[in-house]
Amino acid sequence: MKNYKSIIAVLLAGTMLFSLAGCSGGKKDKDSSSKGNQKTEETGKVDKDGYILKGTDTESKSEDNDLVIAIEGSVSSMDPANIPDTNAISATRGVYENLVQFNEKNELVGQLAKDWEISDDSLTYTFHLNEGIKFHDGTDFNAAAVKANYDRVVNKDNNLRQRRTFIVTNDDGSEEPRVASVETPDDYTVVFKLTKAWSPFINRLSQFCIISPKALEEYGNDIMNHPVGTGPYTFVEWEEGDHTTMKKNDDYWGEKPEVDTVTIKEVPEAGTRTAMLQTGEADFVYPMPVDQIEAVQDTKNLNVLAADSNIMRYVTLNMNLPELKDEKVRQAMNYAIDKNAYVQLMYSGYGKPATSVVPQIITGYEEQPAYDFDLDKAKDLLKEAGYEDGFKLTLWGDNSTQEIKGMTFVKQQLEQIGIEVDVEPMEPATISDKIYVDADEAEVNMWYVNWSASDFTMDGSLRSLLYSSMCPPVSANTAYYSDKDFDKDLDDGLTNADSDAQAKVYADAQKRAWEACPWLFLGNDRVIYSEKTYLSGVYVSPDGAFNYAHASLAQ
Amino acid sequence: MAEMKSTVNIQNFENVEALPKPKSKVKEFVKKFTKRKTAVISFIFIVLLLLAAILGPYIAPYDASQADYSNLLQGPSAAHIWGTDEFGRDVFSRLLAGTRLSLASALSATIVGTALGILFGLIAGFYGGWIDSLIMRCCDILFSFPDILLAIAIVAILGPGMINVIIAVAVFTVPSFARIMRSATISVKESLYVEVARSIGCKNWRILWVHIFPGTIQSMIVNFTMRVGTAILAASSLSFLGFGANVTEPDWGAMLSQGRNYLNTAPHIVLFPGILIFLTVLAFNLLGDGLRDTLDPKMS
Amino acid sequence: MGRYALKRIVSAIPLLIVISFLIFMFIHLIPGDPARLIAGKDATKADVELVREQLGLNEPLPIQYGKYMKGLVTGDLGYSIKNGKTVVEAIAPRFKPTIMLTISSMIWATIIGVSLGIISAVMKGKAVDYIAMLIAISGISLPGFWLGLELIQIFSVGLGWLPTGGLESWQAYVLPSLTMGSGIMAILARFTRSSMLESMREDYVRTARAKGLSELPVVMRHAFKNSLIEIVTVGGLQIGGLLSGSVMVETVFSIPGLGRLLVDSIKFRDYKVVQALLLFFALEYIVINLIVDLLYGVINPKVRYN
Repeated sequence: MKNYKSIIAVLLAGTMLFSLAGCSGGKKDKDSSSKGNQKTEETGKVDKDGYILKGTDTESKSEDNDLVIAIEGSVSSMDPANIPDTNAISATRGVYENLVQFNEKNELVGQLAKDWEISDDSLTYTFHLNEGIKFHDGTDFNAAAVKANYDRVVNKDNNLRQRRTFIVTNDDGSEEPRVASVETPDDYTVVFKLTKAWSPFINRLSQFCIISPKALEEYGNDIMNHPVGTGPYTFVEWEEGDHTTMKKNDDYWGEKPEVDTVTIKEVPEAGTRTAMLQTGEADFVYPMPVDQIEAVQDTKNLNVLAADSNIMRYVTLNMNLPELKDEKVRQAMNYAIDKNAYVQLMYSGYGKPATSVVPQIITGYEEQPAYDFDLDKAKDLLKEAGYEDGFKLTLWGDNSTQEIKGMTFVKQQLEQIGIEVDVEPMEPATISDKIYVDADEAEVNMWYVNWSASDFTMDGSLRSLLYSSMCPPVSANTAYYSDKDFDKDLDDGLTNADSDAQAKVYADAQKRAWEACPWLFLGNDRVIYSEKTYLSGVYVSPDGAFNYAHASLAQ
Repeated sequence: MAEMKSTVNIQNFENVEALPKPKSKVKEFVKKFTKRKTAVISFIFIVLLLLAAILGPYIAPYDASQADYSNLLQGPSAAHIWGTDEFGRDVFSRLLAGTRLSLASALSATIVGTALGILFGLIAGFYGGWIDSLIMRCCDILFSFPDILLAIAIVAILGPGMINVIIAVAVFTVPSFARIMRSATISVKESLYVEVARSIGCKNWRILWVHIFPGTIQSMIVNFTMRVGTAILAASSLSFLGFGANVTEPDWGAMLSQGRNYLNTAPHIVLFPGILIFLTVLAFNLLGDGLRDTLDPKMS
Repeated sequence: MGRYALKRIVSAIPLLIVISFLIFMFIHLIPGDPARLIAGKDATKADVELVREQLGLNEPLPIQYGKYMKGLVTGDLGYSIKNGKTVVEAIAPRFKPTIMLTISSMIWATIIGVSLGIISAVMKGKAVDYIAMLIAISGISLPGFWLGLELIQIFSVGLGWLPTGGLESWQAYVLPSLTMGSGIMAILARFTRSSMLESMREDYVRTARAKGLSELPVVMRHAFKNSLIEIVTVGGLQIGGLLSGSVMVETVFSIPGLGRLLVDSIKFRDYKVVQALLLFFALEYIVINLIVDLLYGVINPKVRYN
C-alpha cells in the first residue's frame, strides 16, 4: 500500500515538471503565433530618435539619485593612458577629460580645448585651452599639465599603451616619434609639431586624457588606483572584475552633474543584466542582448534604444590556402551567405548587411555592389574554379555564446555549396597564440572576428587588417591579403590633408578589397542599450563607449 | 589525509568479504531492488534513454541540424512538439540526437575515469608502501583543485573537442575512485580467502584480479552510476564556460548553454534540455542510491 | 593534539612545494599569449614584444619559476598582468563574497540536508523516505547555471521578491546560496541517511529501543550522535570545495568571488594571479582536512592522534 503511494508521489512530481514545461511552452506557442507575425513586420525597426521600444510609463520615478550602469565586460584599467578596452574608456571618462571629444552626433568638438588650428602642411596643431578649470585635487589645468601628460605617456619607463599613439616602434626595435615637439607658448596654448603628416592625429587626441600633474607626481603609475582629473565625477573606488564607483563633482567647470553617484557594475551573464533592469537594480544596461528585447516588451518603464556602430563583422579567408587562392572561390563563398538572414538571426534585424569593407560611419566610406545571396551563382563560380565537390575548412572564433552562434550560421551557409566547415571556438588568448605565428606555420583557415576602429578613420579600419606588411605575426591580416595598389592607397590617404583627394584614394582602396574578397563580408550590427524611462542623458557612442556626463534621474 | 577521508567510504565495504553464492544472490538482489520504487523507475527511465540513444536517428521527426530560418524560436506545436530553436531546428529531434552524444560522452568519461581509478586504487591498496604514498599524494593534489577547474585546465591545454572534454571529465573522476578502491582493497586484503590464495602461492596480479577486485565490484557499480550523473553535469558546466565539446552538434550541455539567452523569450529552448538533463542525472543518482541500498548489507 | 597538528602542518610543506611546481608548469602549458591580449589585435609584433619584455614573459621558464618561488618566500607575489594591481590587491576583495556565500549556503544546506537524511532514515522504506530523498537528490541533479537563471526569472523578475544577486543586502544572498548549496544539501542528506541507518542497527541503539525509550530520543541521542562524525567530515570537505568559489553561481549572480576571478584570470593568462589562487586553494584544502581531523577528536574522544 505504502509503495503504491510512493509511486504515485514520484509520478506526480514527474508529471508536474512536465506539465510545467508544457504550460509555459504552450502559452509561448499562442504568444509566438501572434507575436511571431508581428515580429516579421516589426523587428529591426528603429524610430528616428533611436527607440526600438519606448516605455509608456514616462512618469516613473527613481527611488534614489544613484546611477547604476550594468555592463558585460570588465573595466580592466583606470589609467587612461593604459586603456585596453572600451569599458575602461567609458569608466575613465567620468573622471577625466580630453582636449577634444566626439559629441553625441559623432562630431569632433573641443572639450578641455576651446578651439584649435591645423596648419596647411598638416604638421602643426595649435590648441587654445579653456581657462579656469581645476583638477579634483584643486590644482589648475593649463598648458603645462598637457605637456606633463605627454611627457609621461612617451616615457618608455612608464610602459603605457598610449605611447604607440605618439611613437612608432619598427619591427627591428627602432623608434620613430610622430610628434617632433610639444610647446607651451603661454599658459593656455599648446602646440604639437608632427614629424610628418598623419591625419588620424586629431582623432587620437580624443583618447588623450589629462591627469593632474600633481597627482602623477604623487602616485606615479599607481595613479590607476587614485585617478584625479577634471571630469564631472570624482573617483571613489575601482574593483576590477566587479564595479567602479564615482561621485558627483560639485565644483565641475562645465554643466554640473545631476546624479549623486555613478556605479558601473560588471554583470557577465546577459539574462541577469536584463533582469537587473527589470527589477530596477540597474538603470542602464549595455549591451542589451537583442534576444531579450521581446522579454521586456511588457515592462512599461523601460526604453530600448539603438545607435549606429563602428563594428564590422566578417570572416577572414586565408588566401594562402590552395582552395582559397582563387578569387572565384572567395566570391562564391560570399554569394553563398545570406547576409539578411545573418542580420535577422544574429541581431534580430538590428543591423544591416555589410556594404563595404568598413561600416558606413567611417570617414571615407563608399558603398560597394552587394554580393546578393545567390546559391546558383555561388555553385557556378565554384565549378569554374574546379571545386564543384566542395572542400573542407576550419573556422576559428571566440568561445562566447554569441560568437558560437555566428560561426554556426556561417557553417550552415557554406555547407549549402558543399564546403564543409569545422567550427572551433577557442579562448581569445588561445586564438592569439595560434594566429600570430610566422606565415609558414600558419594554420588559420577562416577566422570569425569583428573590428571597430575607435578613431573612425579609414586607416584605423584597414591598415592592421589588410595592409600587406601586416600579416601575422606582425598584425591581424589573417587573410594574407596583399595588393600593392591597395597599400599605396592607404599610404596616400595618411598624408593627404585634402579631404577630396583622400576620399578618392580611400574609395579605390575599398573597391579593391571588396572585389578581391579577402573576407566573408557579414554585417554591421547596431549598438543596443536599454534604460529606465526615468533616466535621461546617458547614451552609447558608435564605438561602444557609454557617456553619462549629463545623466539625470527623475525623482 | 587520505586515510581520514577514506573512513567515509569504507563503510560500504566492510562486509563484502562474504563469499558470493551467485544464483541466490541475483534473485535476492532483484527482489530487494524492486522494493525500491524510485530506483526501479529510474532504471526504466535510463533504459528508455539508452533506447532513444540507439534508435534516435531512426525515430527523429527531423534532421537534428536542419536549419529553417523561417521558423525561428517557435513554441511547441503539432509540427514541432518541443518547438524550434534559434536556427529553426527541431528541439525534440536535437535532444533525441543529443541523447546519444551526451550519454556516450558521459559514459565513456566515467568508464575511463573509473577504470584508471580502480587500477590505481588496487595497486595502492595492495602494494602499500611508497607506491601507495605516491598514488595517494597525486590524488591529494588532484583533490586540492576544484573539479571544474581541473577540467577547464585540461581542455585549455588540449584544446576544445569531444575527446578532450571526455579526458577532462575522466581525469577528475580518477582520484575519488582510486580512494574508494584503495580502502576497499585494504579491507579485502586482510580477509581469509586472500590469505589462503596467498598461502597457496598465487601471483600478485592474480590475487588482485581474481580475489580482490570481485570483492569490490558492488561498491564500484554504485559509485559508477552516480558518477555518470556528475559527468553529464560537468559537461554542461564546461559548455557554459565556453570549454564544451561539439558546439554545433546537439550535445545537451551545449544546447542548454547556447539557449540560455532565450530563457525569458522562448523558454522551451532551455526548459526541455534542462529538464532532460535534470531527470537523467536524477535517475542515475536514484539508481545509484537504490543499488547501494540493495547491494550493501549494512543498509538492509 | 597540538603536536599532531604541528606535525601535520610540517609534513604538508613538501606537498605544497610539489604543488607550486605543478601549478607553475600547468599554467605555462596552456597555450596563449597575454601580451597579445594586452597589446590588442592591431598591435604590431614590435609592440607585443615590448609588452612581453615589460611583463618578464621573455625570460626562460626556469628563471621565471625561480622568481616566482623567491616571491613566495619573500611574500612578493608580483603584479596582475590584466589590471596592473598587485596580486594581493587583486585577490583580497574577492574573499569576502566567497566566504559569505559559503557560510550562507552551508547553513541552510546542513540544516535541510541533515534533517532530510534523518527523516529519511527513520522512515526508511516509507513514502516519506522516497520523497525526502527525491527532494535531496534533485539538488545534485540540476545544472547550476540553469537553476540560477530560472530562479532569477521566477523570484526576481516574475515575483519581484528578491534581487538578482550582488550580495548587497541579506535578501541578495537567498538565490545564490540556494543555487550553491543545493548540491551540498543532497550530499549531506545522502550521507546522513546512510550513516544513520548504520548507527541505528548498532547494538546500543537496539538496546535503548528495547528498554522502551521512544523512537525520536533514541534516534537523536544515540544514532545521530554516532553519525555526527561522518556528517562533519563530509560537510567539512564540502566547505573546502565552496571556498574556492563557484564560477557558475558567481557568474550568474554577478558576484565578485574567487571562482570567477580564477576563471577570468585563466582566460586572460594572468599567470601570477592564477598561481597565487591555486596555491591558496591547495593550502586551504590541507588546512580544512586538518581541521576536520582535529574535530574528530572533539566529537569522539576515543580517536587518538599519533
